[in-house]
Amino acid sequence: MTATAAPTGLRGRIDQWFLSRRPPSDRLELTQRNVYIVPTAAGWMLLATVLVLLVASINYQLNLGYLLTFLLAGSAAVGMHISHATLRGLAMHLTPPEAQFAHAAAVFRVTLHNVRRSTRFGIGMAVRGSGHWAWTDVPAQGSCPVEIAFLPHRRGLHAMPPLTAETRFPLGTFRVWTVWRPAASLLVYPAPEAHPPPLPPGEPVAGQPTGAVARARAAGEYDGIRAYRRGDPLKLVVWKKAARAQAAGSDDLVSRDTQQAQREELWLDAQAAALPNEEARLSRLCAWVLMADRLGVDYGLRVAGRSVAPAQGEAHKRQCLEVLATC
Amino acid sequence: MLTVKPRLAPRWGGALPRDARDTLFLLGVIALIVLPQVSNLPWWCLVLAAGVLAWRARLALQSKPLPGKWWRVALLAVTIGATLATHRTLLGRDAGVAMVVALLALKTLELRARRDAMVIFFLGFFAMLTNFFYSQSLLTALAMLLALLGLLTALVNAHMPVGRPPLMQAARLAGLMALLGAPIMLALFVLFPRIAPLWGTPNDAMTGRSGLSGTMRVGAIAQLALDNGIAARVKFDGAVPARNTLYFRGPVLARFDGREWRELNPFARALPADLEVRGPPVRYQMTLEASQRPWLITLDVTPQAPQAPGIDLRQTADLLWVSTQPVRDLLRYRAESYTQFRSGPTQRVPALRSYLALPPGGNPRTVAWAEQLRADPAVLAGGTPALVRAAMRHLRTGGYEYTLEPGVYGDNTADEFWFDRKAGFCEHIASAFVVLMRAAGVPARIVTGYQGGELNGVDGYWVIRQSDAHAWAEVWEEGQGWVRVDPTSAVSPGRVGTFQRLAPEPGVFAGAFDAMSPTLTQNLRAAWEAVNNSWNQWVLNYTQGRQLDLLKKIGFSAPSMQDLITVLLGLVIAVSLGGALWTLWERSQHDPWLRLLGKARARLRDAGIDVGEATPPREMAARLGQRFGANADLASDWLLRLESQRYARSAPLALSALRAEFTRLAWPR
Repeated sequence: MTATAAPTGLRGRIDQWFLSRRPPSDRLELTQRNVYIVPTAAGWMLLATVLVLLVASINYQLNLGYLLTFLLAGSAAVGMHISHATLRGLAMHLTPPEAQFAHAAAVFRVTLHNVRRSTRFGIGMAVRGSGHWAWTDVPAQGSCPVEIAFLPHRRGLHAMPPLTAETRFPLGTFRVWTVWRPAASLLVYPAPEAHPPPLPPGEPVAGQPTGAVARARAAGEYDGIRAYRRGDPLKLVVWKKAARAQAAGSDDLVSRDTQQAQREELWLDAQAAALPNEEARLSRLCAWVLMADRLGVDYGLRVAGRSVAPAQGEAHKRQCLEVLATC
Repeated sequence: MLTVKPRLAPRWGGALPRDARDTLFLLGVIALIVLPQVSNLPWWCLVLAAGVLAWRARLALQSKPLPGKWWRVALLAVTIGATLATHRTLLGRDAGVAMVVALLALKTLELRARRDAMVIFFLGFFAMLTNFFYSQSLLTALAMLLALLGLLTALVNAHMPVGRPPLMQAARLAGLMALLGAPIMLALFVLFPRIAPLWGTPNDAMTGRSGLSGTMRVGAIAQLALDNGIAARVKFDGAVPARNTLYFRGPVLARFDGREWRELNPFARALPADLEVRGPPVRYQMTLEASQRPWLITLDVTPQAPQAPGIDLRQTADLLWVSTQPVRDLLRYRAESYTQFRSGPTQRVPALRSYLALPPGGNPRTVAWAEQLRADPAVLAGGTPALVRAAMRHLRTGGYEYTLEPGVYGDNTADEFWFDRKAGFCEHIASAFVVLMRAAGVPARIVTGYQGGELNGVDGYWVIRQSDAHAWAEVWEEGQGWVRVDPTSAVSPGRVGTFQRLAPEPGVFAGAFDAMSPTLTQNLRAAWEAVNNSWNQWVLNYTQGRQLDLLKKIGFSAPSMQDLITVLLGLVIAVSLGGALWTLWERSQHDPWLRLLGKARARLRDAGIDVGEATPPREMAARLGQRFGANADLASDWLLRLESQRYARSAPLALSALRAEFTRLAWPR
């Protein structure tokens, strides 16, 4: 999230002012107003070439040389317009991004719409300043999706970083670009710790005996079967029934149902993480949440004065991660 | 040469990986650029270019890695060494051409980064221009147009980073760019002021063209190429003298070995110049192009040394002004000449014998004919003037022809001219004439120089071109001294006095189609000549004078260079203003949805429902419903869909579909 860093120096301030002029929106139509164009190094080189050709034509009085020079200059001038028109009139639409883990490669999905009757070639998109370009052609009167790679750095709920679209088509002599501030915000979870210690021990639920449950789980006592729920560990799936269902033409899976009544509760607590640094603690909690979710056990979360009651499943996991991201 | 042309090999084109295909295409374009100048390149350059291109093509086909840095360094060293060995410099024109071609080929071995590719393209544009040093014919122009399209195609293709787009797609776009760029080219070509070279052009490799050289080898040139390069520019102080007096004197040739005319041995006894001038002087300023020769060309005759600061001048007995140094740069000087003059000894002096010498045994028929003429009673009575008149009459009436393609002459050039071929250009005619005079016992010599010229309307300069180079004769008459005689004027009156030139006859198609149909050959040749002539007239000879004529046609009474620039700037401003207005219009109209809504609003007003600018489609639909009930259902539905097209979260309906529906929709009235 480089863009949220405080602006430094004059350049940074100009940049900030430039960005602030663009109203944030998840849909951007490119017009004369928001498409910019500057010559590239190759463009300056072409200019130098044309000048040398012109001098040679003058000095050797070559009328055909004049023709070549002027045709080249004319083509380059037309190329400039084609270059600008490659972006002008393009519509970009951002699919609201899913939450991501910090420091893990992720993508934004943008759809480019082209109402023109001809293809727009060689359009690159990237998070502004990242240098990781995704190149695409947008077909005539069609649209195409682009996945823009990015690397979220800090957890939390952030504004989307500004995106940029660029093209050097057709001659490479001009860089045509635009800057887009999407309105969507992006939720970044903490980065899960790479090698977390095992889950903390469960806390007994007040007023319930504990030993029997642990034994029952270890011995694999199950109450029955139920429909598969997202997030069920693989070992709970009844594969024999699944195979039969597949033969009958259905994709439904069934899971073994464990005893609902738990006598011991797993609480993932910031204090149990036993690390001095808060971000490191959150990283460990994040890893634990993912681990507990994989194991298919109920877990609760207590962090920074907020707590999530023990439960399991996808929605619960998301809720926990959101708490970790925003606390 | 290279035979790898990817466009001609669809069998490969379909299967090759993109990198290989693009590389082969670029190599093909480079080969196309180099091919037309093959005959003008040194052999090592050809071998190097062909070898490197073929090697690179092989590497591309086999997807092998490019050679290492040392290969390139070694080949570059070879190039520089060979250029130095061939041309003794790296800077001259021919050396530059060889270097550009070799570098272009070498650079293909380094096609990695985008920058490398760009360098290839720009070197390619230079290499295209170098073709024009040797030929500006229509065919060269077409080949280079093709090459330019090829380079643009490769450039466009290089900027299509996704997938493996067909080359035709890039080619179409390159063609479109060239087509749209053509008006710009035309405007610039027509209006860009034709100015003099910014600095002295190196005059290397001007041999084989018309011009002055100090010797004259008769009959050795089968076909004289007229060089339209400028030899000198003259600014006359007053009016331009009559064209038929505009003889600009160059070296005088008096020593003949049967084949070649040279200047007299400098140690030979010189005749006194003995110059007398009459009439008013002609004052002018002369700007001589670098000629690498020591002569200062002046109007015949110039008694006083031209005022050329910093240059030591002396006048030869032949009345030619010679500097101690060759003219290596543009040289400007003032001179004062007299078109009426008398020079040379009035009495027969021994030194005149040098001007009677002929190689023994040469041109026997001419010698015999000279004896015959001498014995003619009219000549006996009238002396030398009568002899000259008789010879000139014979030239006029004897069926002699002026041509730039006389073919190669044998040993007895004068005999061949007088009796066999009866065709040639000024040097054949002047040489044969002087041989005849000498054989008849009249001292005679050849003067080379320039005759005529043309007025440049822009700056009022009189322009003398290399194609105005001329050779005439001077015969000595008792009591008169040297008298100028221009035998070419008797053969081709157009050659002297007007600026009409004999166009060289192209023999390109001659004979090839003769077997098929003589008329077809004739028609084809006529058509080809017509096309070539238009090309020469409109493209190659498009000069300052023509630019000003054009300005006159569009209403400038006294056009000048400034006017050209004014028109060019005016055009640029007009186009820019047009563009700006179009942009403004587009900006005000750019939202197609609003435009469509505006049209719908107009329909509602037609139906008598007054709606404001800010009325949303939903309200418009409601008011239609109130007014027309079920009749308006279709229109209301369309308005609602127009609204959802703009504001709904789901995938938007195509606006073009709604627009198409709008035109079909029956609006209630």
